[in-house]
Amino acid sequence: MSLDRGSEAGPLASEESRRSFLGKFASVVFAGLVAPAVLGDTEPVRAGPAAQAEGLVPVVELPEPVEGEHPVQRMMEDLQRALQKPVEQRKWAMVIDLRKCTGCNGCNVACITENKLPPGVTYRPVMTETHGTYPNVARRFVPRPCMQCEDPPCVPVCPVHATWKRADGIVVIDYDQCIGCRYCITACPYSARSFDSGYFYGDFEGGERQPYELLPSPEYGENRTRADGGSPIGNARKCHFCLHRIERGELPACTLSCMGRATYFGDMNDPKSLVSELIGQPNVMRLKEDMGTDPKVFYLV
Amino acid sequence: MIDWKDKQLSRRDFLKAGGAAAGGLAALAALGSGFKQIDRAEARRLQQAEVKTVYSACVMCPAECGIAVRVENGVASAIYGNPYAPLNSGVLCAKGASGLQMVYNANRIKYPMIRVGERGEGKFRRVSWEEALNFIADRLLEIKRKYGAEAVIMDCGDVTDRDPYYYLFRAFGTPHTVEHGAICDTPRRHGPKLMFGGKRVEPDIMRPVLVRQPDGSLKNDYKYRTRLIVYAGWNPFTATRIVYESRGTVEAKLAGAKIIVIDPAFSNTATKADQWIPIRPGTDPDLFAAVLRYILENHSDDDPFRRYIDWSFLEYSRGWEEFEAAFKSWWDKTDPINGLNYFSLEWAAERTGIEAETIAELAHTFGITKPAAWVWGMNGIGHHYNGYVASIIGTALNVITGNMEVPGGAIDTELVKSDKGGRAKGGHFLKREVTRVINGQEVTGKVEELHMDLFGKWTAAWDDVVGDYPSRFLEGVELKYGPFRGHKYPIKAFFIRTGNPVITGSNTDKWIEALTAKDGEDYRVELVVYIDTPFLETGLYADVVLPEASYLERMSLSDIYPSHQLLYLRDFVIDKLYESKTQYDIAWALARKLYEKGDPDIKPEDFWEKYPTEEDFWNEALKKAPGRAHTGEPLPYPHLPVNYKLYGTPDSLEAGNVTIDDEGKKVIGEYVTVQWLREHHGVAVWPMSWHRFKNGGVLKTDSKKVDFTWDYDLDGKRKGRYAKYNKLIEEAGEAPPGIQELGWEKYPKTFYWFETLWNPYTNPDYAKYREEYPFQVISGRVHHAMSGTQMVDWLGRIPTEDLWVPLNDERVVDEIVIGENGPQPTGRKVRIPKGTWSIGVIQMNRADGEKLGLKTGDLVELETPLGHTTRGKVYLVETIRPGVLRLPFGGGGRFSPGLGKTYDFRDVTPNANALVDPDHHSPIMGMSLYGDMIVKVKKV
Repeated sequence: MSLDRGSEAGPLASEESRRSFLGKFASVVFAGLVAPAVLGDTEPVRAGPAAQAEGLVPVVELPEPVEGEHPVQRMMEDLQRALQKPVEQRKWAMVIDLRKCTGCNGCNVACITENKLPPGVTYRPVMTETHGTYPNVARRFVPRPCMQCEDPPCVPVCPVHATWKRADGIVVIDYDQCIGCRYCITACPYSARSFDSGYFYGDFEGGERQPYELLPSPEYGENRTRADGGSPIGNARKCHFCLHRIERGELPACTLSCMGRATYFGDMNDPKSLVSELIGQPNVMRLKEDMGTDPKVFYLV
Repeated sequence: MIDWKDKQLSRRDFLKAGGAAAGGLAALAALGSGFKQIDRAEARRLQQAEVKTVYSACVMCPAECGIAVRVENGVASAIYGNPYAPLNSGVLCAKGASGLQMVYNANRIKYPMIRVGERGEGKFRRVSWEEALNFIADRLLEIKRKYGAEAVIMDCGDVTDRDPYYYLFRAFGTPHTVEHGAICDTPRRHGPKLMFGGKRVEPDIMRPVLVRQPDGSLKNDYKYRTRLIVYAGWNPFTATRIVYESRGTVEAKLAGAKIIVIDPAFSNTATKADQWIPIRPGTDPDLFAAVLRYILENHSDDDPFRRYIDWSFLEYSRGWEEFEAAFKSWWDKTDPINGLNYFSLEWAAERTGIEAETIAELAHTFGITKPAAWVWGMNGIGHHYNGYVASIIGTALNVITGNMEVPGGAIDTELVKSDKGGRAKGGHFLKREVTRVINGQEVTGKVEELHMDLFGKWTAAWDDVVGDYPSRFLEGVELKYGPFRGHKYPIKAFFIRTGNPVITGSNTDKWIEALTAKDGEDYRVELVVYIDTPFLETGLYADVVLPEASYLERMSLSDIYPSHQLLYLRDFVIDKLYESKTQYDIAWALARKLYEKGDPDIKPEDFWEKYPTEEDFWNEALKKAPGRAHTGEPLPYPHLPVNYKLYGTPDSLEAGNVTIDDEGKKVIGEYVTVQWLREHHGVAVWPMSWHRFKNGGVLKTDSKKVDFTWDYDLDGKRKGRYAKYNKLIEEAGEAPPGIQELGWEKYPKTFYWFETLWNPYTNPDYAKYREEYPFQVISGRVHHAMSGTQMVDWLGRIPTEDLWVPLNDERVVDEIVIGENGPQPTGRKVRIPKGTWSIGVIQMNRADGEKLGLKTGDLVELETPLGHTTRGKVYLVETIRPGVLRLPFGGGGRFSPGLGKTYDFRDVTPNANALVDPDHHSPIMGMSLYGDMIVKVKKV
């Protein structure tokens, strides 16, 4: 299951909580976009076990290239390769080439639709920085997903161990554990976490919820339906590199949609992956390097 | 530490404490909105959802990207780019991704409605389709009986999948079926149309392209060969009509291309440019002319550092000598406004506000760098009175430097895109003969010869003149040319579908005047029908409002501008919502009504007997695909004859499963069908080639060469794009008003020059306004907020380009949504906190603002010399040339309640088109002068 704490579970995670967690989510994988679920009278039963290889989405088949390769194809192949390895041998990373970001916000909205984010919650805003005086001006667009820090400041502050770093480096939240205290929101130096206050888009236009916001969110493969008033309403929320997508071989929503093809995703433990290649470029940088968070989002400038 | 066992309790406690305040980026807070619980059965249904992906075509903007829509149990849940569609190659912008909020929106038109108040009041009552169609059909037949079918206009607005309406209204007998090109950028298209028979010149940066390899295989080519792109007045990053120019530009740059952006504002495209040249608005022709003069004066065949011209263009062009002579004839003339010689560097510097050395460097760089593309855009060139001149020179620049159709150079996308439509457009109905009585005489001619523009006021307006409709509504039409010369008729019915001319079709007040003018008790335009998914301003003036199915609920074909033939399907993604109907449903239902009521022009064998299903209709349209000459290098299908037109699926052509018609010069494979597209990810891709002007190739001029003259003799016959208009003028003995306004007797044979209007820096007639009206006003396209998508919440939260900025004040508004009887209060009050919703603003240079004592957020009024005004908040930035104000096109002053929050801020947001000169149109094609106006600024 996506929420597996794995072998690198956070230092505060107790054995007890880990066991109960694993008991709840029997499998290390889940299949399909919205896995079949049966609703009991009290609580939904979540995604059942399935073989990972079978669940993978096939790589986009495009005509053979003269040279090079379509980046989506390349990254999907990288993903497939990574997913053959045990989870603790993967290290997911994102590379954002700021020279190519056109500031369209396609990634931002694609993320919102993918993860069914409510008003007030964004995982991937695009910041705009403008410098200079006419006519010498410069403007830069900086998409800001969660940095999936190697040493995430948001994790140790959680009083209930509801957030931790997975074995593959993705920092996740267990919405059932989260008590909504927002310490983690304050702790994140990148402002990458936001709070789900329970609003719906329909609240702001007409008062009736629209069909797309009644659908369950695919996050963590849990298919939670916010519309029933439960979690993740009242929880902290954050980017998880579209864990539910990558585990079935699909690229994160932002990476697939990016208008400038500025976003790359893959396994930085795999020296053959596109992201590994890009991280080796001389023009690579990370945000707030001095804080020692060791982010796994790299920027090319 | 909290006890684990109590965590649920703790969680609820925290919720109680936290629920009231919106966290993070929460933009809005609603008052009085209760949670609506969904029942368990509903939850179960949703959780057991059936999931599928449907390939279709976006139409949130006219780029019409290929999309892959995820549908969960019948509900569209996420929209992605279709990676199999090379146009967007899997990418999708914010607007495309946010289509869900357009499709599922409280402000959708849900039911047919008939007006019960006055036009503009927004009072309607819900009616059945039956009643609405009866109402429309009765009036249409009465109008046809009284005034002729030519008194009816079907304007298919901004969305291109309009063929069923064209088909119906042409069958009905009117020549007036138009689309949004008329209010888009017609002067920008003029040069390519005259010289190539084309429309838009774009750089060769669509990747991947499918190319035939030396070993015979077809492979995807990802290589960027472009060395230089000049974007003049064109901002593809936010006006993403040519979607591949986003990724293509940044990729080409990384591959070594230089990018130069010429624009008064620091656009998003300019952010990625090597050089930003902030030009004075409306002086693009001046800059282009200086570049051409520099190239002609400084070219040397012998010096490799000044070998600007590639003379091979002479092989596939004609008339260059005449064009060059006409161009050079200006060089010794003195410009009355600055005393300098035309097209000289100093002259251009004086007019454009760009230093002479910068212009010289630009000209040299463009001349010497190959392959390159000189690209000009919509707002910069298309929106000015004299945009034609820039368009013609820009086309010539690409041709003489040898950049047209070379790998990495420039492509006229109109010439190389796939054909479609064919008989489904109903063009054959326009050839029918009709009789009219003119001054007591019976005259017979073709339906098309009744056209109000082509045989009336705007003979060369091949894209129609929607911006001038108000005058036709008010004054009627008098034909001046052709067999029906002297025929007068009024415009009595106006159908507007997916368009909003009250805001976008020239001056807003003029449109309102025309739609509300009365003769006695009755409106002069007797019938106004509004057909759309969202409810925009023009809908407020309609007698009948019809809900059209959204783009995820209807079928048609993409209308796109790729680098080679490529087509995709717009498919049914979800079921039709509410009582909406597709274009086919609406056109066929109305056809049936007309037939039942005795319209002799509507025949079952043309409609439901011929195309009984929607798919049949679109299969007809697909018979024309790809329909281009088989040409270029590498030749797409080496086993098929060169320069024959190709028809059929890529795989049938590839397999040679074809019939060859030597007489008609056609190769016909298996026709593309809706079903074939569905089986191929919704996409048909034919191979790319270059050098497609060779031996005529894809050129659509009379000479099958690049025409530098436009009224000429060819083998004893009079040819050229202007020849037929000049013949009409000669027969009639009078020129159309626009031509007379320029002091011409007819259309010039080759290069011409005239000044733009309302520009005190280039046109002596307006120099007197310089002091009193110190600001030139231009508009920018805010992709997020162009005209009809501002009710989309996701986009309302995203600022763009200093034009669409969260400068809103705090308000508690009485919510209005589009209900079954039109705009209706819901009784809810909605609070919109300060600084949370992007609104259209007036972009102003910081130094200018400070001189006027203004600060960001101040409300100002802009006033033109004609007394037109609009209000908005200023946004003081360094990203715009001093003396220029930029307003979002369609981004403010929006008074349709169907626009949600954008409507709520209508009093503090500027309507750029409130300022447009209502009485002048660009003289050849009648385009509205969106970009030619000056104002003074007053703090409110």
